Amino acid sequence: MKFIVSSGSLLKQLQLIAGVVSTNTVLPILEDFLFDIKDKKLIVFSTDLETSMSSSLDVEANEEGKIAIPAKLLMDILKTLPEQPLTFSINDQNLAIEITSDKGKYRLTGENGDDFPRIPVPEETKEIKLPSSVIANAINKTLFAVGTDDMRPAMTGVNFELTPEGITFVATDAHRLVRYKRLDAKATKATSFIVPKKALQLLGNAIPAEETQVKISYNSSNAFFNFGHVKLICRLIDARFPDYTAVIPTENPNKLTIQSSDLLSSLRRLVVLSNKTTHQATFKMSGSELSINTRDLDFSNEGNETLVCQYDGEDLEIAFNAKFVIDMIASMNEEEVQFEFSTPSRACIMTPLNKKDNEDLLMLVMPIMVNT
Amino acid sequence: MILSPEKTIVHLDLDCFFVAVSRLMNPALNGKPVVVGGNSDRGVVSACSYEARKYGIHSAMPIKLAKRLCPEALIVHGDYEMYTKKSDEVTEIIRDKVPLYEKSSVDEFYMDLTGMDKFFGCYKWATELWHKVKKETGLPSSFGLSVNKTVSKVATDDVKPDNNKKVDRGTEKAYLAPMSVSKIPMVGEKTYQVLRQMGVEKIHTLQQMPVELMRDVLGENGVTIWQKANGIDDSPVIPYSERKSVSSEETFDQDTIDVTKLKSLLITMTEKLALQLRLETKLSSCITVKIRYSNFDTHTMQCRVPYTNCDHHLIPRVKELFDKLYNRRMLIRLVGVRCSHLVGGGYQINLFEDSQEMIRLYQAMDNMRRRYGDNAVQRATGLGFRLRDFNPFNGIRKGVAGAVARNEEPRAKSQEPRAKIQEPGVRNQEPGVKIQEPGSKTSPVGATVW
Repeated sequence: MKFIVSSGSLLKQLQLIAGVVSTNTVLPILEDFLFDIKDKKLIVFSTDLETSMSSSLDVEANEEGKIAIPAKLLMDILKTLPEQPLTFSINDQNLAIEITSDKGKYRLTGENGDDFPRIPVPEETKEIKLPSSVIANAINKTLFAVGTDDMRPAMTGVNFELTPEGITFVATDAHRLVRYKRLDAKATKATSFIVPKKALQLLGNAIPAEETQVKISYNSSNAFFNFGHVKLICRLIDARFPDYTAVIPTENPNKLTIQSSDLLSSLRRLVVLSNKTTHQATFKMSGSELSINTRDLDFSNEGNETLVCQYDGEDLEIAFNAKFVIDMIASMNEEEVQFEFSTPSRACIMTPLNKKDNEDLLMLVMPIMVNT
Repeated sequence: MILSPEKTIVHLDLDCFFVAVSRLMNPALNGKPVVVGGNSDRGVVSACSYEARKYGIHSAMPIKLAKRLCPEALIVHGDYEMYTKKSDEVTEIIRDKVPLYEKSSVDEFYMDLTGMDKFFGCYKWATELWHKVKKETGLPSSFGLSVNKTVSKVATDDVKPDNNKKVDRGTEKAYLAPMSVSKIPMVGEKTYQVLRQMGVEKIHTLQQMPVELMRDVLGENGVTIWQKANGIDDSPVIPYSERKSVSSEETFDQDTIDVTKLKSLLITMTEKLALQLRLETKLSSCITVKIRYSNFDTHTMQCRVPYTNCDHHLIPRVKELFDKLYNRRMLIRLVGVRCSHLVGGGYQINLFEDSQEMIRLYQAMDNMRRRYGDNAVQRATGLGFRLRDFNPFNGIRKGVAGAVARNEEPRAKSQEPRAKIQEPGVRNQEPGVKIQEPGSKTSPVGATVW
């Protein structure tokens, strides 16, 4: 088998899908890209068995065939080559791959393309189309709140809730929760599925900056994301997402409004002085002042700052993991943020003060229990 | 002159610390065989004077046996508050004079004197400090001065009591060579047996062995032991060591296989430890359960948990661990719980698992306990038990069972620097404290030991 391809465009496509490739797997072929050539079209696949990606580009080829090529080796060669056409000649008998550039020849050994794991194909799927910006936004706003505890698989992904009224993306790790609703994207039939964190990370990296349509197809076991030349296929998390609607408190008489940038920079300074594991910060609200205190008793470090805010409610003292609050405000990326509290042991809700059209964002963080 | 990278380390150890303090308070004990330990026959010796050692008494030995070996020995009960106080006095003197020191246990100190020889002469300086400690506190001590912690410690143990030893740079290996391998810190009973079975008795033999062999036999520990045998030890003097764990353990008046009782006791201990963690705003992420069978076989098992200080997380794990651990149908003489990997902070409330009511319940119970004492509210299952009463965080007898470990070392005795003060039993792995059970036929001494 032989084909000719531009080094630059090949590298660009490979970089989009290289994130899937795992190192040190039990199955060595997972460290490879699968090159599949049909009708002068090269489709490159990568997979870790949970998530798979593919990307296609046109090549000059007269034959059809498959070969698995070691991913890291190939990428490293391509990265160091200037833009030029490369000739790949593959010996189908001994799987030797010879790449010819205008500088010389590079030989490496591939593996049989037929041994590469089968990539799931969409079957009995339903589909919706979303603008890429909606997906990118949803990933940005929710991904950081996804849990890492494998004992609770449901929380290791973002829940997609599709309804005729809109689409809701929810992520939680049981200590914080983000709910991002889009009212401008609708599905015909109500359904929901949980997409794993890794797939969304890869998707977020691969989605182009310019606006395109992303086609999402899904069935009971897999989700398929298509955009441009790129496809991402992931296995859905087979678990029930916790019923979060019940735990969002509705009665929150204490409300605080503050400039995001002020609070954010305060917290970033104060977190330096907090305990390195718990990042505990105590918020004290009274009048129109918010004082924040962090301390690390083990090293006698302490930080205090007082900020001006708009506070409407009774005096309150409540403690949070400052990192959580920082993550949330940073990802919210709004000028002013509103906090809603009820008691020191109940969830605090954060919302942007100025709601955007077609968008509803709610973030929730659980406090830390303190001695009273 | 450029400061040499080679270090000068002093190891100062107070001689028979508990006995020495007891003697300060009661001079009648001077010159007599003295044993510090629990007062019932099932307690163990937590310290003994050199006079008592002549009779073959050593720490961790049952009091009963010690009495048999030396009927005239004077048995005193520890005054652990006093021990803490005297230990702090010594620390104060050292703090004044030494910029870099490590208090590795209640009666052991490491000091880094690197660079001081330029001005004072380290040995002269250490000797002066040694005299000062004795003069100001009345406590005898011994010190070893050498190039690293291991050699200094071995030297101290070698020359004590009331003595000192300087091991010059370059002579460490020769100095260690004729000693028994059991003198190496880290070599406990089990390791010693392994080495003896290999035919290794003297450190000299160990020095000649290839390090690979030690690795094959004892793993990474073997490498460390080999290095120590060769006088190599680059562990630094750590000025401040964080508290590593809180623990509680109890020996029974009578060995038992009553699983219900054992579990109830473990639950009670865990409850108290969790309370203590909450009062001190600490979280733990590692729980260890320990049991000792009547033949002294001791087993521990631990598990990691997300950072917590709540009863309802810890207790189920403790029960699980106990069920896994207790797999021989044999009498048990001791059970214990330890919470380690501590960090400062409050419990992060869980969105789905914790209810507002539960959090309030904890807060209300803790408030009651703060006001009316630790036993003001407790689980009914623990009502039959009275645990030893002292605060595991400062050693002051106050209200909660437990003991503090400042450091985790694989071996008991001198290698077990965990708060000797707070709990002689921990030092000897055998607290002489009992559970008082209403209606039990055993001696009613129970918790009143303290």
